Amino acid sequence: MAMKIDPILLSVYARTFKSITDEMSISMEQTTRSPILCEAKDYVTGLYDGDGNMLEQTENLPILAFSLAPVCKYIKEYFGDEIYPGDVIFHNDVFSLGNQNNDVAVFKPVFLDGKLVAWTAVKGHQADIGGNVAGGYNPNAVEVWQEALRIPPVKVVERGKLRKDVWNLIFANVRLDIVQHDMKAEMGACTVGERRLLELLNKYGVDSYESHKQALFDATRKMMEAEIAKIPNGNYSGEGYVYYDGRHVGSKFTIRVDIEVKDRHIRFDYSRTDPQTNGFVNGTFTSSASATILTLLQMVNPDIPHNEGMVQPIEIVIPEGTLLNAAYPKATTFGNHLCPPNADAIQRALAPVLPDRVTAGWNNLLASLTTGIDPRNNEKYVDIGFMGLKGGSGAMRGTDGYDHIGMIDASGGVLDQDYEMFEQQTPHTLIKHELLPDSAGAGEWRGGLGVETIFEIGSDDTQLVTFGDGDFEPAFGLFGGFDAGLNFIRLRYPDGQTVVPKNKDLITGVPRGTVYHQVASGGGGYGDPKKRDRKVLAEEIRNGVISPEAAHQMYGFDPKEAA
Amino acid sequence: MTLKIGIDVGGTFTDFVVTRDGAEPAIFKTLSTPSDPSIAVVNGLTDIAAGMNPQLSLEAFAPTIDTIVHGTTVTTNATLTGTGAKCGLLTTQGVRDALEMRRGIREEQYNNRYTNVKPLVPRYLRAGIAGRLDRSGVETAPLDLDEVKQAIDLFKQEGVQAVSICFMNSFANPLHEQAAAELVRREMPGAYLSVSTDLLPSIRFYERVSTTALNSYVGPKLNHYLDQLVGRLKGIGFHGLLLIMQSNGGVISPQLAREKAALTLLSGPAGGPGAGLFYVRAHGQNKCITTDMGGTSFEASVAVGSPMIKNDGEIARHKIALPMLDIHTIGAGGGSIGWLDEGGLLRMGPQSAGADPGPACYGKGGRLPATTDANVVLGYLDPDFFAGGKMKLDAAAARKAIEEHIARPMGLSIEEAAAGMYRVACNNMAQGVREVTIKRGFDPREFPFIPAGGAGPIHSCLICQELEIPLQIVPRESSVLCAFGMLMSELKHDFVRTFVSRFEAIDWTRLAAIIDEMSREGARQLTEERIPEARRRYDVKLDCRYIKQYHEVSFVVPRELIDRRDTAAIARAFHAEHNRLYGYSLEQENTPVEIINVRVQAVGVTDKPAYREEAWAGADAARALKGKRAVYIPETKTFREIPVYDGHRMRYGNRIDGPAMIEQETTAIFVSASYDCAVDALGSFALFQKGREDLVKSCMKDKKEALV
Repeated sequence: MAMKIDPILLSVYARTFKSITDEMSISMEQTTRSPILCEAKDYVTGLYDGDGNMLEQTENLPILAFSLAPVCKYIKEYFGDEIYPGDVIFHNDVFSLGNQNNDVAVFKPVFLDGKLVAWTAVKGHQADIGGNVAGGYNPNAVEVWQEALRIPPVKVVERGKLRKDVWNLIFANVRLDIVQHDMKAEMGACTVGERRLLELLNKYGVDSYESHKQALFDATRKMMEAEIAKIPNGNYSGEGYVYYDGRHVGSKFTIRVDIEVKDRHIRFDYSRTDPQTNGFVNGTFTSSASATILTLLQMVNPDIPHNEGMVQPIEIVIPEGTLLNAAYPKATTFGNHLCPPNADAIQRALAPVLPDRVTAGWNNLLASLTTGIDPRNNEKYVDIGFMGLKGGSGAMRGTDGYDHIGMIDASGGVLDQDYEMFEQQTPHTLIKHELLPDSAGAGEWRGGLGVETIFEIGSDDTQLVTFGDGDFEPAFGLFGGFDAGLNFIRLRYPDGQTVVPKNKDLITGVPRGTVYHQVASGGGGYGDPKKRDRKVLAEEIRNGVISPEAAHQMYGFDPKEAA
Repeated sequence: MTLKIGIDVGGTFTDFVVTRDGAEPAIFKTLSTPSDPSIAVVNGLTDIAAGMNPQLSLEAFAPTIDTIVHGTTVTTNATLTGTGAKCGLLTTQGVRDALEMRRGIREEQYNNRYTNVKPLVPRYLRAGIAGRLDRSGVETAPLDLDEVKQAIDLFKQEGVQAVSICFMNSFANPLHEQAAAELVRREMPGAYLSVSTDLLPSIRFYERVSTTALNSYVGPKLNHYLDQLVGRLKGIGFHGLLLIMQSNGGVISPQLAREKAALTLLSGPAGGPGAGLFYVRAHGQNKCITTDMGGTSFEASVAVGSPMIKNDGEIARHKIALPMLDIHTIGAGGGSIGWLDEGGLLRMGPQSAGADPGPACYGKGGRLPATTDANVVLGYLDPDFFAGGKMKLDAAAARKAIEEHIARPMGLSIEEAAAGMYRVACNNMAQGVREVTIKRGFDPREFPFIPAGGAGPIHSCLICQELEIPLQIVPRESSVLCAFGMLMSELKHDFVRTFVSRFEAIDWTRLAAIIDEMSREGARQLTEERIPEARRRYDVKLDCRYIKQYHEVSFVVPRELIDRRDTAAIARAFHAEHNRLYGYSLEQENTPVEIINVRVQAVGVTDKPAYREEAWAGADAARALKGKRAVYIPETKTFREIPVYDGHRMRYGNRIDGPAMIEQETTAIFVSASYDCAVDALGSFALFQKGREDLVKSCMKDKKEALV
């Protein structure tokens, strides 16, 4: 089988794998119905070899980037030699390497001449997967059963035949019909990928594919190793913080990472992280490891292919029972949102040795979801407040932060609702959605600006769910750069009273006419603000994103300089 | 007798196609003059006049031209290089940053050095004005005209050249925008003005404000250019019809282009797809994939009956929601540079050597190996016959660049490295073709493939093998296909109105009234363009979706279905199109469907160059044989001596077996070992997969006679 490697064919394989996962991704975007899939693109598509090693992925949200390969390997082991052509397998179980209950994956084995040669897979955030609260965010949950239906690996289709009983068992436990449609869309995308991969394999043969994919892993591993080798050898530590577990007011938790760099190998050890909480603020191994990898990836050459070779030089240790890897049967729905503090810990740890590559702190996610009955047609609406939750990114040496980009786990992959569509699809009226002046941390390079959102709620008896952080601690500055501002969500009821929800909360009975007011603040600054380019600063004052007072106080700007 | 000239201004060359009914189209190329592109237009016309038989002076020639159709990249370049007008924006209080935030997207998620684009209007010139319409267009707060006035004062003081107006929910009621526009016209009579509801009265605020701002951004530049062009043409005595190519594949009068400058953002390449359709007709087909390979980019598009349109394009990361041809562009061209990534994998582009310094073989100081260098090493390009021998290529420089940057680091011979570059470049282009076919629900194998651009037909065999496309058509005019296509274009005016309604509750009277109103507007413009009634057509489209979906499907609805109020037939058309695009429909489930937008395209049919069949010349191509040379054969990975034919001497019916080279002054065609070639009735080279004579029956004498 040790076939001669054709270096040109290798490029063709790499490019084609990428084009296949892209095509699967487009199929998902165009056929799904839940806005969190078709608008926010909270899904990932991937190709894996027969053993579950990642060949390529298209992740629209980086937090999902590395969440499929471990499951794929697990599933192969789980079914052993009972995997057949035409099988379709579902999975979401966070205690067998799933990352979040609502992220339900579809795996499809690909056979050629009777041999299992690859897998295609799609994982998307489903609008509902059972549990106590519609949509899955249940701040009162302490165990997994209060959050979701657990789906360990299960064949919903075997040898091409739909297992109707299994299908019905699953969807009898899910509230919304569109979830069935969206799961079919995931299965469709897997078929699209399978078809394309088989075309490729039929053309070049299995032997060529096997040996070239190995060469591809090796080439990518070398790229990643070369990047790691640029980090000085040593041990580096950092911390990130989480405020409030949804149950204990005033609670605070710490993520601690110890990073060891040794030549071409990097190790992230989270053993000193706080123990798991007794609420839903807990990570899963897969989700936490994805957060680690995506943060590292933003510090290296962005062109490295995303395959098995890329992750080989990276070792991640997260003991079970810690905040980032909760033990069975803890609640974990908030786990994906532990990415920002995890990223903070890594940026802080590596800042002294990678001052050109780290960023200052990013604005942490604070999100909300409103549901109610639209008085125009008496139909139920659900709105995820994407536009309100997107703050600024942290600055880095030489580059300002990105305004209104949103959480680091999405990095600009989740888009605002269009304002006019928002007013068609919800009964709310938009009053303001603009960049928030002075919200960015000052610095020689400033953080990205945050955003202010105000709208009037248009339904009676509205339910509001909040989840997130960033209202206790702002995004941090680096190397003399300043911290940014704090997040908040406030409600002003028609009778004049103001209600401030906690950062993980569920509020019912919000009346029509209530004014919803949210700030997603900016990212941290980098370097001494006094050194900021005066011409740029004068321009920013003119554009009103930095006030003259802030320019004077923080940047030491003398208005006469502007002239 | 009508004389029509198509003119396509490109980065390096300005292309001309001259047709006189009956005669073979003539091709001219002249160097572009980027500082004032109209100079090259006049230079080219001078050359054409001199080439007439008998030879004419420009002044004698110009008055005989009936029509000039012109494609321009003035607006495209202004956007790509950020050199548009200084603009101001009047918008609704509270949302003035929508234009800059672009819904919060960062296209490169792992790249923290990737910064946002500079907004088309700086923040201090974006004024949020009090006044509000609700979601159905009812005024909930009056427009504050004092605030409009204050903003105008600021614009005047700042020397703003162009003003855009876009208010929340104006798609449902244009009155606030009209009131503000009136004030702007009065106070700033010299400013260029774009009003969102004049340009694009459809729902989706960000898309509308971005489109309106783009219109203002490029409007003054286009006006200035049209002043120059019209002035020069007048100066030489041209008094025929001047038409401007627009992004939707149609043409418009210069006056309309001045008002809606954003319609020309894709003017340059928009002629290609329609031209492709002209050539496949010789084979009884009405669909094709048209590609155009230039120096830095490769463009691909699909036409079925007419070219595919999209309503959600973008340029330089700015959204533009005016209908434009669905042309997919990737960074792959003759100048694309080969390089090795950190893992040692060979990559081609997207960086390009451009025209200056160009590929190493141009001998203009380029040291990096480009696609064209590989083509020289592989024998596809004759260094002594590039551009018909007008430009000598330096083969040694090409070899040296490839050796240094690709062959030696990869441990390959120069020839192997060049073959690798060729293959990777072709693979990239094949992926580009997938974007417009497979990803849009089309099977590329069912389409004839048209390779345009000077270097396109060198690569098309490998691209087609990759995609299993059995038939390629290389027109004689393939190196100037876009200019030719401009002559084939109709006058086209697009209109859109938002009309939100579920299928089961359509207000038919209102729907018909909206369509009539848009049709009347189209009629008015066609009247101005002197198109008689008999040559007008009004095509209706609906944008619909299943309820709770986010994306709409746009599909053609015959007007009589609306007059008949035939909901069932309209629904069937929607389900079918949804199924074609996405592989399923929800017809069985009875999922409700809703209309979001109604569109009308008013079409004025223009005179086309005559479809002219060449005389049958027999299968024997021997008289066109001009020699042999060693050329790389991808199928066997070896070099082989193969025949080289002079394309200009090949005639209808001539047959060639691959592998072979066919050379014309501006095009080289490589017929690989998997294809044969026959010249069709239009003089195009039809390359068909070996054994598939059935695809080119019209080129075979016996079969042709049998057909008759």
